[in-house]
Amino acid sequence: MIEIEGIGRRFNTRDGGSFEALKDVSFSVKDKEFFSIIGPSGCGKTTLLKMVAGLVKPTAGRIDIDGQTVIGPGEDRAMVFQQFVLLPWADILTNVGFGLELRGMSRKESREAAKPYLEQVGLTRFAEHYPHELSGGMQQRVGLARALAVGPDILLMDEPFGALDAQTRQLMQEDLMRLWEVEQTTVIFVTHSMDEAAYLSDRVLVMDTHPGRVREILDVPLPRPREESTRRSPVFNELTSHMWHELRGMMGDPTLPAPE
Amino acid sequence: MVAQSGPTLGSGESQVPEAGPRARANRWTPWVFRIGSVGLVLVIWELYGRAQETTLFFVPVSSVLAALWGQLQSAEFWDAFGQTFIPFIWGWLLSLAVGIVLGLLIGRFNTFDALTKPYVTFLNALPVSTLVPIAVILFGIGYASRILVVFLFGVVEVTLNTAAGVRYVNKDLIEMGESFNASQPRLFRKVIFPASLPGIMAGVRIGTGRAVVGMVVVEILLVAVGMGRLILRYRGRFQSADLYAVVLALIIFGILLQVLARQIERRVSKWKHEMEQIA
Ligand SMILES: Nc1ncnc2c1ncn2[C@@H]1O[C@H](COP(=O)(O)OP(=O)(O)OP(=O)(O)O)[C@@H](O)[C@H]1O
Ligand SMILES: [Mg+2]
Repeated sequence: MIEIEGIGRRFNTRDGGSFEALKDVSFSVKDKEFFSIIGPSGCGKTTLLKMVAGLVKPTAGRIDIDGQTVIGPGEDRAMVFQQFVLLPWADILTNVGFGLELRGMSRKESREAAKPYLEQVGLTRFAEHYPHELSGGMQQRVGLARALAVGPDILLMDEPFGALDAQTRQLMQEDLMRLWEVEQTTVIFVTHSMDEAAYLSDRVLVMDTHPGRVREILDVPLPRPREESTRRSPVFNELTSHMWHELRGMMGDPTLPAPE
Repeated sequence: MVAQSGPTLGSGESQVPEAGPRARANRWTPWVFRIGSVGLVLVIWELYGRAQETTLFFVPVSSVLAALWGQLQSAEFWDAFGQTFIPFIWGWLLSLAVGIVLGLLIGRFNTFDALTKPYVTFLNALPVSTLVPIAVILFGIGYASRILVVFLFGVVEVTLNTAAGVRYVNKDLIEMGESFNASQPRLFRKVIFPASLPGIMAGVRIGTGRAVVGMVVVEILLVAVGMGRLILRYRGRFQSADLYAVVLALIIFGILLQVLARQIERRVSKWKHEMEQIA
């Protein structure tokens, strides 16, 4: 279980003052839960996720994972990045194994261990290609496989499909669901897309901004496995329009049209 | 397949024979000019040399090449070359090794940057030749001061270019490495070092050029051994053709090292290209 207790984060500004990015954020994420975070741009989603990853230190509060306070990155967590962040000089198989390599495995062993994960994301025949030869969607599959290959208990994903076109994005969501049901990891998933949050999650945290804080946490009472038809169910539509209503209020423009 | 492709592909095909030779011509054109330019200078050199009444001061290129050929056959030349070459190699390799390590640390850690900045700035600001007399007082005119001078000439450029290469590394790559809980040495070896290679290689190329300059400065200022000794002797005896030949040998050696460094850089810059496609 991940317990986030009264987290706050201030950043120093250039004029010598300080800026409160996050204030008094508390929630917890259960084991094997798919938990999404949605909120306006700049509300601190990335900062929050990086704090769980141990890459950014909170200036107030603390994060406990299974009772242990987070003080830095750990072998129980792995991250998937919006910009994929693959090694341009290494082939796909090496990239998938790179998380293991960074944890001390030899290049040869890690490439061997990466093979099943490459297969899981359907890229076996690209093993010896280089990242720039792959489409964005394929590159993010590599990013996902790299994270899964280290066998994390917790998968941290920061807008992983944000750089992809709408169709690819939908396919990736479906693949992620399929993988997650097999891998059984806890997922914290940051997104800007209400559809994505509703389709994937068990619960969705809606964040408020200036400073970033918890607005509400929504349960997603949709049956699993999620399917194509899930997106057309009344519950799904009710959820997304509720999220839209909340977010629109925060963005301060009540005249904006709702998405169809 | 070509026969079946029909008229639709015809226009496309007609461009192919044109594009090929033109691209090749463009590739070779600079070489025509380079060789032409060198050839012209050699011809003028030869003609001007032959027009002189004496070969005491100005020697035609044919005599210089003949003298060089003679030098290459003599054991004394190779002895002198070794005395120049060996300390050069040590000073050069040392400048690369120290420069790369220093540069990696300076580029990565701000504290280290601040700690070393005064020295780097100092070495960068002054003509290193001014340190030669001090090196001689401290270490004599043997190998040690030769190595030191070559090292001092090369090390600054290697350091600065490597540090710049490290600063240019995509921050996301480093964060990715950290997120997988990599230890600091492993992060250096597996992420920062390969990602900085373009900068490091620029440092190696420029640093090699500087080290060659250092080697020549050593030959001119510390004349007791090596090629410098040959230069001094031939100058004293007015053996001008041999004097020119030894200087020419030094120049050719410097150029060869430059070509080598550039080849290595070119090979590595393929990565740079791929990196830029991603970034
Ligand atoms: N290292 C930093 N130094 C100073 N300010 C920062 C730093 N990191 C983040 N911030 C600020 O904190 C706030 C939250 O940033 P964060 O990236 O977490 O937002 P976000 O919710 O992920 O935004 P987006 O949806 O656009 O990705 C922003 O105002 C940002 O400018
Ligand atoms: Mg963000």
